[in-house]
Amino acid sequence: MLEQEFTIVNRLGLHARAAAVLVRAANGFASQIRIQKNTQPAVDAKSIMSVMLLAAAKNAQVCLTIEGEDEQEAMQKLGTLIQSGFGEGE
Amino acid sequence: MSFTLQGMGVSRGIAIGPVYILHHQVEITEYRIEEKQLESEIERYRNALKQAREELREIRDQIPLIYPSRDIPSPNDTAIPTTAAEIASFIDPHMLMLDDAMLTQIPVEIIKDTRCNAEWALKQQQDRFTDLFEAMDNEYLKARKHDIQQVIDRVQRCLQKAAQPEEKYDNTPDIPEGSIVLAHDLTPADTALMPHQGIKAFITEHGGMNSHTAIIARSLGIPAIVGLRCARRYLRRGDTLVVDGLHGVVLGNPDVRSLRYFKNLQTEQKRKRSELSRLREAPAVTRDGKMITLYANIEFPTDMQAVKRTGADGIGLYRTEFLHMNRSPEEGQPDENEHYEAYVKVLRAVDGPVTIRTLDLGADKQVDGGIARSGGAVPANPALGLRAVRLCLRDLSLFKPQLRAILRASIVGPVRMMIPMVSSVHEMAQVHHLLCDVKRELEAENLAYDPEMPVGAMVEVPSMAICSDLFIPHVDFFSIGTNDLIQYTLAIDRVDDEVGYLYDPLHPAVLRLLNQVIVQSHQADKPVSMCGEMAGDPRYVRLLLGLGLRYFSVNPETLLEVKHIIRHSDLNKLRPLAKQVLNSQDSHQIEDLVAQMNVL
Repeated sequence: MLEQEFTIVNRLGLHARAAAVLVRAANGFASQIRIQKNTQPAVDAKSIMSVMLLAAAKNAQVCLTIEGEDEQEAMQKLGTLIQSGFGEGE
Repeated sequence: MSFTLQGMGVSRGIAIGPVYILHHQVEITEYRIEEKQLESEIERYRNALKQAREELREIRDQIPLIYPSRDIPSPNDTAIPTTAAEIASFIDPHMLMLDDAMLTQIPVEIIKDTRCNAEWALKQQQDRFTDLFEAMDNEYLKARKHDIQQVIDRVQRCLQKAAQPEEKYDNTPDIPEGSIVLAHDLTPADTALMPHQGIKAFITEHGGMNSHTAIIARSLGIPAIVGLRCARRYLRRGDTLVVDGLHGVVLGNPDVRSLRYFKNLQTEQKRKRSELSRLREAPAVTRDGKMITLYANIEFPTDMQAVKRTGADGIGLYRTEFLHMNRSPEEGQPDENEHYEAYVKVLRAVDGPVTIRTLDLGADKQVDGGIARSGGAVPANPALGLRAVRLCLRDLSLFKPQLRAILRASIVGPVRMMIPMVSSVHEMAQVHHLLCDVKRELEAENLAYDPEMPVGAMVEVPSMAICSDLFIPHVDFFSIGTNDLIQYTLAIDRVDDEVGYLYDPLHPAVLRLLNQVIVQSHQADKPVSMCGEMAGDPRYVRLLLGLGLRYFSVNPETLLEVKHIIRHSDLNKLRPLAKQVLNSQDSHQIEDLVAQMNVL
């Protein structure tokens, strides 16, 4: 099982489109992927509703917990996505 | 009987056609499901989800076919180019929601547990979402509840359609070509295909300037009005409407003469647009050979796409307030790097100078992310209160990161720094002191900046206009902000409808102040530009040219129109008329003279 913290860097935070990008990516992996903000309960990163309901704004800290056969690649891919601000311009 | 309704115009242009009312609000009632019908009720719900999914997929798959090239061919050349992929990116979250367990599983469990109908179960789930979103404190993220609502509405409609096939509920697509669509709210998916379906314009009761739907309307160049509250109460199917997307006005069942007027206006606008788009590369030179500098005003770095289509000579006003908007308390204030990156982005995208206006917060532009006011009381006259440079000089933690970022950006390209709301020479001196400090700091940290970066002031407060000569030693340039200058000179609250009729750019007091600033700047050889709305108003361009204005800074949407006017103006003919305007006694005479200038 892998666990890692990330900071949301894009200006609008995990809004609908950013959440969709994250969820689409997460759905590409077989592993179980959970995402947690602060002390709130961790939620399924493959569920767009759950991810949107995290209300993770810019600078929020989120923690990814990934467990499964492709956990390494999944952490790599999702981490890069979050750190790159989901490829958004600002 | 004709009638008029007023909403918020979010995408300009005029459209005329019959109204088509989309998406009747579905009323949701609760009823009990018997044990033996439970399975079929769940099946009904799953089918509705499936159908909603299919509808969205169909729309999404059509987008690349309709807009095959990267840029959407838009009839409105000032529209922001949007790629098919970008439009699709608004639809994708909705498709994912339809596959989410929160919609595929939970309502099914509610049906099982409470033996209620599918519609009611879905509504229960929606109410939960609404509560959760309402509890968020980030306004932008909170507003995403509309995305979820729109998806749920689509499923509800699918449920209803299956229950009562035909007639009563419109099965989306068959909107007659040439219609103007009216809806409570529209989803990005509804909007994206409109030009393809031959829909001329749309009106919604809901929404704001920057809702996804408004952004898409502008990209597609379809006239659109949002926020027209309760419009469905007043409009009937088949009413003929004139939609003026610039002014946010809807005219219902116009009489013959109004209709003729708007048809002519529409033809005129179309002709003009195609004519104007050819002016991109042409210089802004008057008939008698005088070069005029034409800058663009921008609000966000993304506005540069629109600026590029106009061939502007540079940016005459880069508003920086956006950096402070839509921020949650946990984000706090933007730091130096965030400022810097926003400036560099624009500098890299434009050839000419970029005039960065320091924060103009306060008054009508309140901020998120918490700027503390001492005492916390709401001032009675915010327009005269702690705002713009006053606020910046009071709160250096707000101002200094911006000054540092602007100076650092000055080596990336030609930067001009502009200070808003200056009312006394003393304030300019304070800004210069601060700049000296910041420059020393940067030197100590080995960070480069351009020591020659021009620093100018906005002429917005009458005290500066009245003694502009006193400010000349302290500034490298002036830029006249007419909106505030008029408001302060005539003591008219810009946002108070009751006194709006008194807001008059042609008031002799305003014109004398403008003239004085222009004349004194010229004498001192300091450039003076105008970045207020007056500069971009086609009615006043010739008057301003006649008064000697040589630098205009206008919104990208009107830039080409202003260029067109400049290219058809002769300063030798305008100067004597402008002089007569300055000597006029009353506004009727002034209006006549200005009208005379405009037909030359």
